[in-house]
Amino acid sequence: MSQHMISLEVNGQTVQAQVPARRLLSDFLRDDLHLTGTKRGCETGTCGACSVKLDGRLVKSCLSLAVQADGGRLQTIEGLASGDQLHPLQESFMQCGGLQCGYCTPGFLMAASTLLEREQRPSEAQIREALSGNLCRCTGYTQIVESVQDAARKMHGD
Amino acid sequence: MREFEFLQPASVAEASRMLADLGEECRVMAGGTALMLVMRQRMLNPSHIISVQRIAELQGITVDAQGVLHIGALTRHADLADSALVRQHQPVLAAMAAQVANPQVRNQGTLGGNLCYGDPSTDPPGCLMALGAQVVLGSTRGQRVLAMDEFLLDYFATAIESDEIVIEVRVPPLAAHSRARYTRYKRTAAEHRPLVSFAAVLQIQDGICRDAQLVVGASVAVPQRMREAEAFLTGRQLDAAVIEEAADRVAAAIAPISDLRGSADYRREMVRVNARRTLQDLASNPSAQESP
Repeated sequence: MSQHMISLEVNGQTVQAQVPARRLLSDFLRDDLHLTGTKRGCETGTCGACSVKLDGRLVKSCLSLAVQADGGRLQTIEGLASGDQLHPLQESFMQCGGLQCGYCTPGFLMAASTLLEREQRPSEAQIREALSGNLCRCTGYTQIVESVQDAARKMHGD
Repeated sequence: MREFEFLQPASVAEASRMLADLGEECRVMAGGTALMLVMRQRMLNPSHIISVQRIAELQGITVDAQGVLHIGALTRHADLADSALVRQHQPVLAAMAAQVANPQVRNQGTLGGNLCYGDPSTDPPGCLMALGAQVVLGSTRGQRVLAMDEFLLDYFATAIESDEIVIEVRVPPLAAHSRARYTRYKRTAAEHRPLVSFAAVLQIQDGICRDAQLVVGASVAVPQRMREAEAFLTGRQLDAAVIEEAADRVAAAIAPISDLRGSADYRREMVRVNARRTLQDLASNPSAQESP
């Protein structure tokens, strides 16, 4: 069936690949590019564990086809840190206990980093709204919100 | 998900020709958020997907000399919420779009795709109906312009023909002295789909309602104008008793969906409460979007 040659930027690097039309973006990332930080959770667009940034917009990669990302600029959790220097959000999640089992964390980090690009000092309500497409089954939402607040303070001051 | 061919037409005419040639076995994809789910569940197994992502005619938001907003079918919910033009001309529409589903879906799902899916448990159709919006459909046979209540036929059913795609949605300006408000009710804060939605456009002068458009969505199979309640409100002073009576008439006029998310009785009560509060808010709060 139909195969497509796609070319896109993934975490700053140009990637070219041949994919079948039905390849999900989440499967492309994990199984073809071996970027397994992006998690497959519910695979029904509910949990947000597969969240990535496509052209600066947060999307669920389990609801996207790889061919739809052709020509796009993709950022995954692997692209959040700068080399060995963790993103302030990653530091804050560690320091504030923003994760328990950790499975939902890559999705939350991508959602939170998208928020902090738009809002330097988001309110708690804005944080909760920005994270409303992500589920944590350990239900550690309080610490997740505190982690985002802590990172916002670190990045943009009080 | 079964195998399929993925086609990317560059124009409405090319997409329409593909649709006409391939027949019922193909499906149109815009953002894909809804289609992907039904394909994954194998409720639909199309042989061909026609992606309209690259069709320039479906993109952008403009306003014409008459103040009519032209919203391209590929406009994502987040674009609608963030658009300076929409915020200026129809703030109620931007506020509605900011609540659709969740942030990720708003970044991916499109207005055109949302309308074509015909899902009752979503926000845009009811709000657009109350605003008197029209849907512009295109094919090789030309264009058709349908009012929302002509386009939305029933539960997951629309008037779109098999060779047509949505080009744009047109939203006329509010009449003078009009106020518009869209509200919704979710059973829990974590839900992404409304159980009830209520959209109201009231023309109010000196406390008297001169005209009303009321639409109930989400709890009924297809968004529905509340014509009897509209007629009741017209010419009346918007006091608490009149508003309560109007809300009762709205609740009495619907045939609610009954499913796992909410029984018919529960939905009817929530429609009544939502309608009453929304009308009260509009009557007492001119700062709810008012046109000059």
